Amino acid sequence: MIKVENLHKSFGEHEVLKGIDCEIHSSEVLCVIGPSGSGKSTFLRCLNMLESITSGQVTVDGFNLKDKKTNINMVRTEVGMVFQQFNLFPHKTVIENIMLAPMKVRKLSKNEAKERGLKLLKKVGLSDKADKYPSSLSGGQQQRVAIARALAMEPKLMLFDEPTSALDPELVGEVLEVMKQLANEGMTMVVVTHEMGFAREVADRVLFMDEGIIMEEGSPDVIFSNPTSDRTKEFLDKVL
Amino acid sequence: MEGRFNWAGVIDFLPELGTGLYYTLLISIIGLIIGFILGAIFGLGRISKNKIFYGISSIYIEVIRGTPVLVQAIWIFFALPLITGYNMASVTAGIVVIAVNSGAYIAEIVRGAVQSIAKGQVEAGRSLGLTHNQTMRYIVWPQAFKRMIPPLGNQFIISIKDTSLLSVILVPELMFQGRLIASNYFNAVEIYTTVAVFYLIITLTLSFILRMIEKRLDVQ
Repeated sequence: MIKVENLHKSFGEHEVLKGIDCEIHSSEVLCVIGPSGSGKSTFLRCLNMLESITSGQVTVDGFNLKDKKTNINMVRTEVGMVFQQFNLFPHKTVIENIMLAPMKVRKLSKNEAKERGLKLLKKVGLSDKADKYPSSLSGGQQQRVAIARALAMEPKLMLFDEPTSALDPELVGEVLEVMKQLANEGMTMVVVTHEMGFAREVADRVLFMDEGIIMEEGSPDVIFSNPTSDRTKEFLDKVL
Repeated sequence: MEGRFNWAGVIDFLPELGTGLYYTLLISIIGLIIGFILGAIFGLGRISKNKIFYGISSIYIEVIRGTPVLVQAIWIFFALPLITGYNMASVTAGIVVIAVNSGAYIAEIVRGAVQSIAKGQVEAGRSLGLTHNQTMRYIVWPQAFKRMIPPLGNQFIISIKDTSLLSVILVPELMFQGRLIASNYFNAVEIYTTVAVFYLIITLTLSFILRMIEKRLDVQ
């Protein structure tokens, strides 16, 4: 589903990603962990071209992102993204947030979009919030709406950029629960996270990133119980 | 002091003052509508990645902001025809002055409001597959527009008052009429006070309307 080859990304002189190679298969849940500033989020944002690629190849769902002929909007319709800060549209109600892209991009009718939106709100447990504005929701509820909004495009792949990092501790669980459900349904997911418990339980594979490279990758059991790299050990000692 | 000023006599001049009021409103309304369009275009120019568009927008804004309205009015009415060989009616010139002048300030208002919308909003829109234009239209503009209203109201009031300067290029607006009457009938106190009150009525009405719009848009 995703193939990344020798991906480099620089901001001016500063090289953030120093050669990433990685493959993500359909229905796989991949968790990316690592210290702040290791390039995890940048890596994720390169997968839907929110960051341009400095060099290397990234192929998503058969589209070569480096190719100028690739219609990036087409790729993005298949790749949902959930942000740390939710980024809901504050001038639209919850249901309008969800309906916008299906109507404008997928050309669904208003009724179809609404039906789809209500179904997704039910799925994330927020049926009663459809006509509320995002500002009246808790962080956890906002993030669940953001997940529903991304799912409304029926993407083949979901990217999560530290989805629980901006939440109060007691609200983290409800968001992880929704993500777990999604993983169980077979959604392909790439999750940048600091929730080691979630990574351990849900991930099929874990990537440990540090200083712009993938230091170690493997099944959660191996990474969390038997890491080979000293940097991984050091990091896990600090966070676990 | 009793009887020194003939306030009741002002009524006799209401037709002339009414004509003035008409031109003041006409020039303000048409000028500001065009000014808003210019402001929207050049405001977006200031945040455009296109260097030529950005350059033209910057030059326009800096030149207009850096020169007095009075100079702009006189230049457009007296100097421009000597260059182009085309004479403009004073009312047309007045509209052009208000449009071009307010456009430069409105451009900065538009730029500020659009830039104040968090980057995450654009990223959220784009990540859903919306095009750049769709993201601007459905996500950035509606939010930015709300933030533009207070500074726009300010600019509208300034521009309405600036129309009084157009009397020097013979636009028959409120101030022009007032001066004409006062210099013929020596009733400066009564007439200029009335003129001032007329301006005040226009600007207070506008403030009121803008406050209503702001309230209406602030639905959350």
